[in-house]
Amino acid sequence: MRYTPRTQALRSALAASIALTVIGAAHAAPPAGRLLAAQCAQCHDLDGNGRGFEELAGESASEIYHELVEMKNRTRIESIMDRQARGYTDAQMRALAAYLASLPGGGD
Amino acid sequence: MQTLNRRKFLSLTAAAAGAAALPPQSRAVGARVVVLGGGFGGASVARYLRMWNPGVAVTLVEPNATHVSCILSNLVVTGLLSMNRINLSYTALRNNRGVQVVQGRALGIDTGGNRVTVSTANGNVTLGYDHLVVAPGIDFVPPPGNWNPSLTPHAWQAGPQTTLLRNQLATLGNNDRFVMTIPKSPYRCPPGPYERACMVADYLKRKGRTGATVTVLDANPSIQAEPEAFTRAFNVTHAGRILYVPNAVVQSVDSASRSIVTSAMSVSNAKVLNIIPAHRAGAIGASLGVNAGGFVPVDPLTYAVSGVANVHVIGDACAVPASDGKAVPKSGHMANSEAKVCADAILRALNGEQPDTNIATSSACYSPITSRSASWLSANFIYGDIYDANGGIKGKGMHRVDLGEAPAGEVNQDSYQDMFTWADSLFYDSFA
Ligand SMILES: Cc1cc2nc3c(=O)[nH]c(=O)nc-3n(C[C@H](O)[C@H](O)[C@H](O)COP(=O)(O)OP(=O)(O)OC[C@H]3O[C@@H](n4cnc5c(N)ncnc54)[C@H](O)[C@@H]3O)c2cc1C
Ligand code: HEC
Repeated sequence: MRYTPRTQALRSALAASIALTVIGAAHAAPPAGRLLAAQCAQCHDLDGNGRGFEELAGESASEIYHELVEMKNRTRIESIMDRQARGYTDAQMRALAAYLASLPGGGD
Repeated sequence: MQTLNRRKFLSLTAAAAGAAALPPQSRAVGARVVVLGGGFGGASVARYLRMWNPGVAVTLVEPNATHVSCILSNLVVTGLLSMNRINLSYTALRNNRGVQVVQGRALGIDTGGNRVTVSTANGNVTLGYDHLVVAPGIDFVPPPGNWNPSLTPHAWQAGPQTTLLRNQLATLGNNDRFVMTIPKSPYRCPPGPYERACMVADYLKRKGRTGATVTVLDANPSIQAEPEAFTRAFNVTHAGRILYVPNAVVQSVDSASRSIVTSAMSVSNAKVLNIIPAHRAGAIGASLGVNAGGFVPVDPLTYAVSGVANVHVIGDACAVPASDGKAVPKSGHMANSEAKVCADAILRALNGEQPDTNIATSSACYSPITSRSASWLSANFIYGDIYDANGGIKGKGMHRVDLGEAPAGEVNQDSYQDMFTWADSLFYDSFA
């Protein structure tokens, strides 16, 4: 599922509802991109824990997506990230970038 | 009980926003998941299940009071880190994530009755489950001969074995010989044994042990991971200190005299004999059925064991379908990665949904080459068609889309520092 401003707005409405924080987690299909984005948490701080490499929260979806594309296409590999970026399709990078940008601390 | 689809649910909740309570209709709430084994795989799956749905009750069964990480353990063997540094506590999982941790060893799984028998200090207990995740890591296949790991340690499961090998290494004097074996692939952490050889050679240099050497008896025909970095390390960085012997299949071991016979070379009375035997799935996992290699075949979308309802195996114990020659490596990073896919699939199943097919897994290892430099290895997998050696499609699985090691210029001190950044982040993402 593509992440659209409409789903974003719906999700904000959800977050506002107290009951939903518990029941919503159990009911709704997991947010698109959540599982893919979790594959970044071995190395990146997604929840303000202060560990890992560059913190990704705080970047917009398009910033993250474009950085990933740039690293994926880099011909002279320098960082382990240049390799990890090769592990995802374009659609997957869009989905996980949108999810990462929706995390607390992140902003569009 | 009926499950609402996402769209219906959203409109319902939008309408009900502000209402005092909503009916607790999810089948996931109150579900019981039992996890056997608190290593990288088991801890991560427990953590993510609770993070993603605090309504699910998760019980983690583990015989040890803390987990001792294999990751970074070669630095403990060679005296660069203390044991504390790789001791990972379950306190955060218990207190911050609400995982119930039971100190005990699973004895048997009643797959028909959906329950596990666990031996604890207070006797046997029985735990019922809706889903069971089995993450016991590895057991060793005893090598031929008289093998005794308390005389010739493997230090391939961290803990007392790590301390034993460290203490034995400390006795190595000038002109003494450290001999180690590497089993045929697949074994856990493909670069790990080569990393150990490098770190021991570096130790001998740092301690000024003249004439002391490391002999690497590798059952494989060639270096199994980061071939460029390790070839350079063996031939240049540690030249004269490491003797690398490929195709050395162990034929007999005598731990008492620290002697070994292999198909390529024999050594009598080594000062230290570090036997890393071949692996198989940990026994409780193996009880579910293994392939010819001794590991439990699983569905790559759910890590479910075929024919056994609601039982999943993750981490080193499982065998993931993959393209020929592009196996999914057994690593802590990968066990953590698989745990997330498994947790997501369990939560979907509890809500009556199909597993996600748009999935990816990954692995990363940082390998110290000296006490100041490290290399790294990265591997990525995407679900889809998998291929045989001739390029024909052989089914569905995790296809390796990328594999690579650090370029020569990056085998440096920055990577050595990155190793700790990565390890601490992975420790957090699995145990905190
Ligand atoms: C020297 C060395 C270096 C390594 N370096 C790296 C690295 O750089 N990067 C990397 O990603 N990986 C590395 N690894 C590999 C990594 O340690 C393993 O792949 C990882 O630990 C696998 O996780 P697991 O959860 O499958 O098994 P484990 O972490 O071994 O955990 C299994 C747990 O199950 C418990 N258990 C077993 N049987 C039972 C039972 N019956 N009931 C209850 N509990 C049970 C055990 O006590 C254990 O705690 C290294 C390994 C070694 C040896
Ligand atoms: C094995 C560890 C590892 C994994 C896994 C990993 N990264 Fe990275 N990432 C790094 C490192 C190291 C850097 C720093 C790269 C550099 O210094 O050039 C980085 C940098 C980045 C950057 C650039 C940040 C900036 O501000 O310059 C982005 C964006 C990024 N990663 C996104 C991701 C995403 C998204 C994922 C998951 C799909 C991911 N990373 C998974 C290690 C990792």
